[in-house]
Amino acid sequence: MKCADILVIGGGPGGLGAAIEAAKAGASVLLVDENPRMGGQLYKQIHKFFGSQTHYAGQRGFDIADTLIAEAARAGVELLPQTRALGCFDEGQFALLSLANQDATRLRTMKARRVILATGAKENAVAFPGWTLPGVMTAGAAQTLANIYGVLPGKRILILGSGNVGLIVGYQLMQAGAQVLGIVDVLPSVHGYEVHAAKLRRANVPIYLGSTVVEARGETRVQQVIIGQVDACFQPIEGTHQTIECDTVLLAVGLSPRTEIAAMFGCDMTFERRLGGLMPIHDETMCTSNQTIYVCGDLAGVEEASTALDEGRLAGIHAAAACGYGDEARHARVAALQSSLNTLRSGMHGQPRKEAKNDILQLAHRKGIVGETI
Amino acid sequence: MRIYKHPILEIAEAKIVTVYMDSQPIIAHENDSIAAALIASGISVFRHTHKTGEPRGVFCGIGQCADCLVIVNGQPNVRACVTLVKEGMQIQSQSGYGQVGTPL
Amino acid sequence: MTQQEHTAPITDPIICRCEEIRKSEILQAIEMGCRSVTAIKKYTRAGMGVCQGRTCARLIEQILIASGISPQAAVARDKARFPIVPCPISAFNGSDKEDQVDAPSI
Repeated sequence: MKCADILVIGGGPGGLGAAIEAAKAGASVLLVDENPRMGGQLYKQIHKFFGSQTHYAGQRGFDIADTLIAEAARAGVELLPQTRALGCFDEGQFALLSLANQDATRLRTMKARRVILATGAKENAVAFPGWTLPGVMTAGAAQTLANIYGVLPGKRILILGSGNVGLIVGYQLMQAGAQVLGIVDVLPSVHGYEVHAAKLRRANVPIYLGSTVVEARGETRVQQVIIGQVDACFQPIEGTHQTIECDTVLLAVGLSPRTEIAAMFGCDMTFERRLGGLMPIHDETMCTSNQTIYVCGDLAGVEEASTALDEGRLAGIHAAAACGYGDEARHARVAALQSSLNTLRSGMHGQPRKEAKNDILQLAHRKGIVGETI
Repeated sequence: MRIYKHPILEIAEAKIVTVYMDSQPIIAHENDSIAAALIASGISVFRHTHKTGEPRGVFCGIGQCADCLVIVNGQPNVRACVTLVKEGMQIQSQSGYGQVGTPL
Repeated sequence: MTQQEHTAPITDPIICRCEEIRKSEILQAIEMGCRSVTAIKKYTRAGMGVCQGRTCARLIEQILIASGISPQAAVARDKARFPIVPCPISAFNGSDKEDQVDAPSI
């Protein structure tokens, strides 16, 4: 049976950061991801990132993915794309399913001493009548079609949700030649960064605030959408309905952590609305209530690619240290990463996430969840 | 609707492959997912549900939701959004849970 | 103008896309005493379809919370079991005869 010090599940920014640091510390690392290539959602991010140089500011997501994958390969990480983790058994055994059809035996088992879960997040939905019609899809689906496959999901597009995903995807679809008919959000103000909203406003895209999609109608595909204003309880107000003729509705209403594998490992969970809902409790070393399991990235609270990368690096350093790897420099490295995360979690959008993260850490302490000291 | 002009992405010349949706030939690009190829050809209904028979197409686009299920070369329940096209592939829209070995 | 434009909006959306379970059925289950995602699943089949509740669990959570049930109680789910995603039986018998496509069906 194949053995590794550390198994990392999920090859997005969090998983790549974790694998890179653990391998650099000297651990043998296996990184698995179900997609044909590593990089997670970074390949769909064709806009330039903000922040500092250490967070690849000014670079586009797909370039950052290439950089990280190359760094992981140089560090000696064994990369297994098109491989899905199906579960765990006693004594640290894992079942991995290869999705590449050239492999004769597709279900394989392996052993690892520590596991870092970087399974990311999934998109939330809103259920309105007609949301099952073809043409209604998540913003991520539209982003995948346009930015990975070069195919527009539709010609006339309405977006529900004014968070960064809705705003960015809206702008990207306009760049690709689609008509964005509007952004709808129940909130009284735009939820995402103003810099993204400004790009849409400049292009005269209406932003319908305090409104929601009441119904999508069509025979075999969306043909029209009824939107209406909402009251203080987010319920539609009679008489405010208007009809928009469109062929596509995108749902950009937030993300929630993908917790299935963490739940299987018995990691204690909590519900933290500010970080996307149900998620595993973890301490500052990213260790969960199961001492062999570490978490990072959106699974450990939905934030951003840059925070996922830093958290992944933290998890990688600590999991490697728990296996006996790493030198004295790791303490300074951990301190630098924690200060970097603090910087990322500041300002109007970052502060609530910082507070939520602190609450998770305190909950971990109360529950006696403490990773191995390094 | 293919994107032919983009301010950021390089649109590389793609190798063309032919696949079949319900026996109709469809021009696809090599490395297209089945979903991308169908949508590029203006097809948005991929299957009909087992209970009420309502039409469904792409929803999550990343293999999570299982709404884009089609029959591929006689094999039902293939997720169109995460399966790549291949020259000559026979795709059929799926009804309900599909059937193993549905005649082509 | 189609006839549809004159009809009043429908108000009972599907919640579980796979099993086609509507909001009214979820609310009825809550009325019958279901207090968590897992209880609703067993009562209505919402979340028992091909995707295994990946989309609807969160929606059901929201309906439960809106009905006054605490988030910590509402989120209770069944423990994830092996295999955590549906996969073809051929994955277990070492046979790859089924593999006519690049990705196995779910």
